[in-house]
Order: sequence, then C-alpha cells, then structure tokens
Amino acid sequence: MKKKIRGGLWRIFRFLFLGFMALISVGPLVWIFLSSFKTNREILSSAFSLPSSWGLDGYEAALQLAPIFKYYGNSVIIAVGSTALNVLIVSMAAYVLARYKFKGSTFITLLLSVSLLIPTAALLMPIYKIMIAIGLFDTRLGLILVYAALGLPTSLFVFKSYFQGIPRELEDAAYIDGAGFYRTFFVIVFPLARSGLATGAILQFLTSWNEFMFGLVLTQSAEVRTLPLALNYFTSQFSFNYTAMFAALTMVIIPSIVVYVLLQEQVTTSMVAGSVKG
Amino acid sequence: MKKRIAELMAAVMAVGILGCVPVYAEDGVTEISFPTMWVGVNTNTDWFNERLEAFNEEYGDTIQVNVEEIAGDQNYVDKLKVLYSSNSLPDTFNAGGYNLIDSMQDQLVDLTDYVDDEWKSLASDISWEVNSRDGKIYGIPYTRQVIGYFYNKDLFAEAGIEEPATTWEEFFEQCDMLLEAGITPLSMDTADSGWVTSLMLCAIVGQTDEGEEFMNTNLPTDYNTEEFIAAAEMIQTMFQKYTTSDAVGGAYENAASNFYMEETAIIANGPWMVSDFYDDTLVEEGFADKIGTAMFPGSVMYNSGKIGWNIASTDEETLEATLTFVKFMTNEESQLRMLEVTGDIPASEDITSDDVYPLVNEVIENGNNAEHCINDFQSLWYANVVDEISVQYPLLAQGEITAEEFAQALTDAAAKN
Repeated sequence: MKKKIRGGLWRIFRFLFLGFMALISVGPLVWIFLSSFKTNREILSSAFSLPSSWGLDGYEAALQLAPIFKYYGNSVIIAVGSTALNVLIVSMAAYVLARYKFKGSTFITLLLSVSLLIPTAALLMPIYKIMIAIGLFDTRLGLILVYAALGLPTSLFVFKSYFQGIPRELEDAAYIDGAGFYRTFFVIVFPLARSGLATGAILQFLTSWNEFMFGLVLTQSAEVRTLPLALNYFTSQFSFNYTAMFAALTMVIIPSIVVYVLLQEQVTTSMVAGSVKG
Repeated sequence: MKKRIAELMAAVMAVGILGCVPVYAEDGVTEISFPTMWVGVNTNTDWFNERLEAFNEEYGDTIQVNVEEIAGDQNYVDKLKVLYSSNSLPDTFNAGGYNLIDSMQDQLVDLTDYVDDEWKSLASDISWEVNSRDGKIYGIPYTRQVIGYFYNKDLFAEAGIEEPATTWEEFFEQCDMLLEAGITPLSMDTADSGWVTSLMLCAIVGQTDEGEEFMNTNLPTDYNTEEFIAAAEMIQTMFQKYTTSDAVGGAYENAASNFYMEETAIIANGPWMVSDFYDDTLVEEGFADKIGTAMFPGSVMYNSGKIGWNIASTDEETLEATLTFVKFMTNEESQLRMLEVTGDIPASEDITSDDVYPLVNEVIENGNNAEHCINDFQSLWYANVVDEISVQYPLLAQGEITAEEFAQALTDAAAKN
C-alpha cells in the first residue's frame, strides 16, 4: 500500500516537473507568437493578454522593415558551412593531438587553446584587415572561415577529450587489417566519435548562428548579412516596433522548430547507431 | 554519406566564392560610401529613402552612393570605431548627433575651405560652432537640437497642477502632488547612456549661468562642480522617489512606454517623439491632445547645434562627389522635408513649415524663448563618459554611491582620454 502511494506521488512529481520544464521551454515561444498579433500598445499595456485581433499586420511590417528571409538564408549557409569546416578540420587536429606524442605537441595544443582567452573585441580590427587583404571582406566564405576559427579552441577541447576515450585497440585492429591512417580515422574513429563530434558541432552551430559583431564588421551588403543583424531593424534609440519584431522572431523560429522536429529522430538515431553490436 | 558531405561543402564554398565578386561602377561614375543607421524603425528612415531617391534622380549619372545599412545606433558607432582603427572610414557618415569628431578628427576632412557663404547660411551659427574645432569645420549640420519636456495635461489636472513648474523647487512640489494623486511623476532610464534621465540631469545643471557655460563646453574634464553635484543629488531623489520601478536598467523604450501608457506624467525628449503621440498602435486615440510641452524649470531648453555629416574621403575626386552628396542632404529642401517627415528641427532657423504637428512648433517656440540654452551631453562629452553614465546611474539610484562619487566617476572617465 505504502509502495503504491509512493509510486503515485513519484508519478505526480514527475508529471509536475515535466510540465514545469515544458512550460518554461514552450512558454516564451508561445508568448512571442501571441505578441506578434498584438499591437504595440497591447504588448506594452498587458504583456499576458490575448491579442484583440489575429491580423497579419505585424508580419507585413516585419517583411517591409527588414530583409529577414535573405538574412535567414545567409545564416543557414554560414552556420552550416562553418560547422562543417570546423568539425572536419578540428577533429583531424584533435585526433592527432590526442593520439600522438611528438615534439611540440603540447605547445601546439596550448597555442590552439590559448586563443580562447583573447577577447573578441581585440580580434575585430586585425581580422577585418586580414579579410580586406585576402579579398574575403563582405563574403559568406569570409564569415565561414572566421566563425570556424573562432570555435576552434572549444571544439578542440571537446573532440580531443572524446578521442582520448576511444580504445586504441580498435585502431590497432584496423591497422592489422590493412587500413591506412586516413581510412582508420574516417572509417573507424570518426563514426565512433559521432556523439562527441555532434556536441562540438552543436556548440559551433549555435556560436555561428548567434554571432553578431563579426557579422557586422566583416560584411557590408545585405546580400551576405546574417540574422542577428536583422533583429536590430525593429528597435532604435528613439523608436521601436515590438509587433513587427515578434512577428519576425516567429517567422525565424518556426522553420527552425519544424526542421528540428522533422530531423530529431534521425539525429538521435545517427548518434546512437553502431553503439550496440548484434 | 561522404559524398553528401563533399557536396554540401562544395555548395557552401561555391556560394561563398560567388559573394566575393566585386561590383564595379560604370565608367564616369564616382562611387562613394555611406553607412546609414536610418533603416527599419528609425525615425529618419522615410526621410533618408526619399532624399536618396531624389539625389539619385539628379546625380545618379555621375555619382553612385554605396549605402551600407547598419541597424541600431550603437552598432553604427561600434562599426565606425573599428573602421577608424583600421584607417578605413567611409567617405561620409552621420552618427545621428553622436560626437565622433573629437575621437576621429585626424581622419576627417577639414571642410572649412569647401563651405562657402551660401552653404553657411543654411545653418545657424551655433550649429557650425558645434561642428567646428579650433575654427575648422569638421561636420556639416542638418538639424538643431531643441529639447524640452512633454507632460500629460490630464494627469496634471488630476493632481491639481495648472501649469508646468518654473523652478526646480516647484517641479519637485508638483512631483509630490502627482504622487499624492497616485500618479508616478517621471519617466526615467539608465541604459544606453540613460538618455531621458541625462536630459533632466543636464537641464538642472544648465539653470545657472555657470551651469549653462558648462553645458556648452566641449569635452569637459571636471564634473566635480557645485552645479553638477547638486544636479546629481536631484537625479538620485528622482530615481528613489518619483519614477517607475523599471527605470533602473531600463532603456528609452521603457521610459517612453510608461509615458504612452499614461503611467507617468512627464518625459524629457525631443520633438521627433511627437509623431508617436498620433500612432494608434502605440497610444490611445486622442493621446496627442492630452500632451503639453514645457521648458525645463529655470527657463532652460536644449537649443543648440547638433553634430552633422562628417567626411573622410581620401582623394580629390571622391571628396568632390561626397561634398555634392552631403550638400544635397543638408540643403534647404532636405532640411524642410526632415522637419515635415520626422519633426526634427532644421539647422537653419529660417526654415519653417505649417505642415507639421502643432506640438513640434511649440517646442521650437519654447527653444526661442528660453533664457538658458544648452547643448546635449552626447554631442559634448567624451564618448567613454557618455558610456560611463549607464554604469553609474544604477549605483546612484540604489544609493550605493553619492552624488559626489558620481561626479568623480565621470571625471575619472574623462581623464582617460
């Protein structure tokens, strides 16, 4: 009887906890969605009331005020590009630094990691000048390279520690079976490190997706600019349009959520694939 | 899988490389660069687009203006600082009144020889003074800074107040009357240099002759003056007694929202705010009819020049084209349209229009009648002092520092230049 009561209480607690977590996760998104239909006055006077009408004025205004979809497309290309580049290059570096001890390996690890300590503001001017000099100013490729490099120390830490956890015997077995260095890395180690790589990739993607200052300084034309810059079109020192801003946020957030929901299963499956043999 | 990754990377590279292709101007066309903050919801966006279109119609065959959109005032200044550090400022820029002349003077063109009498007649003397250093012109004015405060007549009547105060003692008495009637007297802020609050602070400073002189001094280095400390003390009282709970940490939009929602009775700001009083998505219908304009107590008004267009072209051909562009954007028609479209006051005192909201003309008249005319802190003070205000206001508001310490903190910030 006691056990039954305890089980019931535990279920209620779990339900409440999950409900609370769902509320704080979904609540802000629902609030943004509802606010995109309210007038500025309604948003300011009563933050939690329902909209008086469900017109699409805010969405029209948002599309007129800022080139959201162009910036959104650029953000996708740049974030995906920098993530792919970062994962590919840094994973190779991390593998070598994790597996092989050679003269200067500690120094190289330290050198690559220490860039984490340099303030971003200090990097702005030199990177701006370099981008101008190599002709990559105001290009997506320029931002991809810079973002991939900015995420280098973090990814290196994540990847290196993950590679160190993979049993060396697996690689030895591959070498015995005749696989070369590259094949061993790409066919054996890379898939085994998938969850570690996914962690680094997610961090890198989020960094690139949200980055603002380099996006502002290293670009000039609307053709290559990214989403964080677009959100500034809705507030300035002496004016604001919250309805349009929330409409823009809704338009930006919904595709991301849809893509995530559609791909969620595949992402999870691919992350655990190969973990159980048989 | 590998093939897919390779395809994806190839696509990313290809798109990036396509973005590298530079755009060349046609023969005989001089290109000039101009980054603009007048995009999105900025009050000047419509004006700028209209005038740029007019410029292109007239000069499009010979001059191409490459406009870079930078949304957000602070982002604009931040980017210009990076460009200045890299010695690659655009041909011309306009930071909306933010003083960049003193920090970037060495890369700006001395415009003295290019400004003839006809051009000079398009702005008041004080406007040229604000844009000059040691007798040399570094900026072309286009608007004047005329600022007082707005008050809600209905809320004043509810509290039994008949007229705006003429002295600060009376002003605080009126604040008490508003409080007694259950009305929060003041809209205030601390973020983004606490624009609304700082307007009050500097207006208090400017009520005496010495204070007026201080508030017309470029780049002051000593804030430990009697007037400034007394003003800071009054601001501390305002924070602690007479404003909303979101003032500390809040920005302009919080202060404005409280005034629009009729939760506060007074806000200090310029006439560009007037068009919002008629915007039904922001305020209740008929809100504008409830609003009155006033000088600050002590007959003080912000009535001065404003930093205008700065030029940093590095060769003669581009400079000539840039001057043509700036001359067009500051001409009589442009200033008139600025007044009509945005409510911002023209740099020339001779340009007036009946096609503006009555409240705008009231503000201009207040400016003309004020006994003490001062300039605003963003135009006068070192940029890092302006930034420091946002750090110090919350401490002042919460009583963690005294008015003397506040003044000392600004003095210390000024000393770093």
